[in-house]
Amino acid sequence: MKKSRDSKSILLRVLLYLFVILVVLVTLYPYFVMFTTAAKSRAEIYATKGTLLPLNWLWQNFKDIWTLAPLSRYFLNSLIVAGGSTLIAIVCGIPAAYALARMKFKGKKIFLGIVIISQMFAPVVLLVGIYKIMSTFGMTDSLVGLVFINAAFNQAFAIWLLRGTFISISPEMEQAATVDGCGKVSALIRILLPVAAPGIVTALIFVFINAWNEYTVALTLISTDVLKPLTVGITIFNGYNMVEWQYLFASSLFATVPVVILFVAIEKHLVGGLTSGGVKG
Amino acid sequence: MKKKKPLAAVEPYLWLLPSILLMTIFILFPIFEVFRTSMSEVSKAGLIKGFCGFDNFAKVLKGSTFKLVLKNTLVWTIAVVVISTVFGFILALVLNNKFRFRKAVRAIVVFPWATSLIIQAGVWKFIIDKDYGALNTLLMKIGLISSPVNWTPTPEAYFAWEIFVGIFVTVPFVTFCVLSGLQSIDNSYYEAATVDGANYWQKLFKITLPLVKSSLTVSTVLNIIYVFNSFPIIWTITKGDPASRTDTLVTYLYKLAFYKGKSGEAAAVSVIGFLILCACASVYMVLSLRKEDED
Repeated sequence: MKKSRDSKSILLRVLLYLFVILVVLVTLYPYFVMFTTAAKSRAEIYATKGTLLPLNWLWQNFKDIWTLAPLSRYFLNSLIVAGGSTLIAIVCGIPAAYALARMKFKGKKIFLGIVIISQMFAPVVLLVGIYKIMSTFGMTDSLVGLVFINAAFNQAFAIWLLRGTFISISPEMEQAATVDGCGKVSALIRILLPVAAPGIVTALIFVFINAWNEYTVALTLISTDVLKPLTVGITIFNGYNMVEWQYLFASSLFATVPVVILFVAIEKHLVGGLTSGGVKG
Repeated sequence: MKKKKPLAAVEPYLWLLPSILLMTIFILFPIFEVFRTSMSEVSKAGLIKGFCGFDNFAKVLKGSTFKLVLKNTLVWTIAVVVISTVFGFILALVLNNKFRFRKAVRAIVVFPWATSLIIQAGVWKFIIDKDYGALNTLLMKIGLISSPVNWTPTPEAYFAWEIFVGIFVTVPFVTFCVLSGLQSIDNSYYEAATVDGANYWQKLFKITLPLVKSSLTVSTVLNIIYVFNSFPIIWTITKGDPASRTDTLVTYLYKLAFYKGKSGEAAAVSVIGFLILCACASVYMVLSLRKEDED
C-alpha cells in the first residue's frame, strides 16, 4: 500500500515538473524569437531555409536602430508620458484614497461605484470623444495630452490600490498625531505615507507600466514623428513592403526589458492589492 | 469650534476634488461627446452638423457587417476569458505547490502581462508567418513537419491565432489573482479534511474553489472588460481584415472613425459597446457591494 502511494506521488511530481517546464518554455518562446531574430541579418530572416539561432550574431543591429530611427527621442517621449501620468495619477489619487479609507461622508458608496464603472470605459471605445475633447484643448498632437489621458484612465486603479493599502494600516497613529495638534494633511504626509510606502510604490510602478505600454491613444492622437512614444514609434520598422523584423525586435527588446524587470519586482504586492481592493469594493 | 463645522461637512469632497476633476475632464467629457456624436449628423471632417436621432444606429445595424463584427466580439471575449480563466486557475494550483525554482518560474510566468500588447502581437505575427515564420522553422528543426505549414489559410484561422495570443497574455493575470487567493487559505482546512478522509477532488471543490471564488470573480469581470476592449492584438495581426471577418467592435469602430471618416457611426458602435459592458458591470457592482455589506 505504502509503496504504491509512493510511486504515485513520484509520478505526480514528474507530471508537475513536466507541466511547469512546458509552461516556462512556451512563455519564454516569443522572447527567444525576439532576441534571436533581432541579431539576424535581413537576408537570413527572409531566407527559405530558416534558422533557430543566428548564423552570425549581428550585435550591430542593437546599435544601428538608434541611428535608423529617432529611438532615443521615442524613449524620452515614453518616459515623459509614463512619468508624467504616474505623477498626476498618484498626486490626485492619494487624497481621494485617503478620504475613501478614513472618512465617512454622503455619496462615498456612489463614488466608489463610479470608480469601478470608469474601469469599463477603456480609452479605445472613447476615442471619438477623446479626440474631440483634445482638439478643443489643442492637445491632439502633444505629449501633455497623452499624460492627462493616461493619468485619468489609471485613476481608478491608483485609488483602488491606495485605498486598499490605507485601509490595511491602523488609523491610531494618525489620530494620536491629530490630537497632538497636527493637521490632517501633515498627519497624512508625515505618518501615513511613510508606512504606506510599499503600497504607494506598487501603485506608482503599475501606473507607470500601463502608461509605458499604452498604444491605442498614442496611435490616434500623435501624428508628429518625434512626439511618438516607443510603442507607436517602433512600428516605423513595419514598412509597407517589407518588415525590418531584426530592427523591430531589437527596439522592442529595449522597450520591454525595463518594464518586465519593474513588473517582476512588484508582482507580489500588486495582486494582493488588486484582489483585496476589489473584494472590499 | 463652531466655525469649523461647515468646513468639516465639505472636507471629504475637497479631498476628492483633484481626482474628480481629472476623471470628469478626461473621461466624463469624452463619454458625453461620444453619446452626442452618436446622435448627430457628422461631416467627413468631423464637424457636428445637427441632431439626427438614431440614424447612425440604424445605419450601423442595417448592414450584415455589424452582425459579423458583434459575433466576432462575443467569440473573442468568451473564448479568451473562459480558456484563460480555466488554464490560469490550473496553473495557479500547480504553482502553489512547493518545487525547485518556484520563485523563478513565477517571475517568468508574469512576463506576458508586463509586455506591451503591441510588441507581444508583433512577435506572434512573425512566429506564425507561413513563409519565414519561427514556428515552421522550429517544428522543421525538431522534425515534426517536413515542409512549412500555412498556419493561417483562412480568416478564421487568423482569428483563432489572435484568440490564442489573447489567451497567452491574459493567463498570467488570472494565475496571479488566484494565487493570491490560494495563499490566504489556512492550511488547517486541508489538514482537517485529510483527517476526515477527503480525496484531492473533494478538497478542490469543497475547500479551494469556494475560498478563491472572490479572486476568480474579480479577475473574470476585469478580464471581460479588458478583452472586450482589446485593440492591439487584432490590429497588429490582421487589422480586422479581410472584409471585417476578424474585426471586433473596437477595431471596427476605429476604422469607421479614423479611416472612413464616419465618426457618427463609430460613436454609435461605441455606445452599443457600453450597453453590453454595462450589463456586465452591473453584475459586478451587485456582487462587490453585497460583499462590502458582508464585511
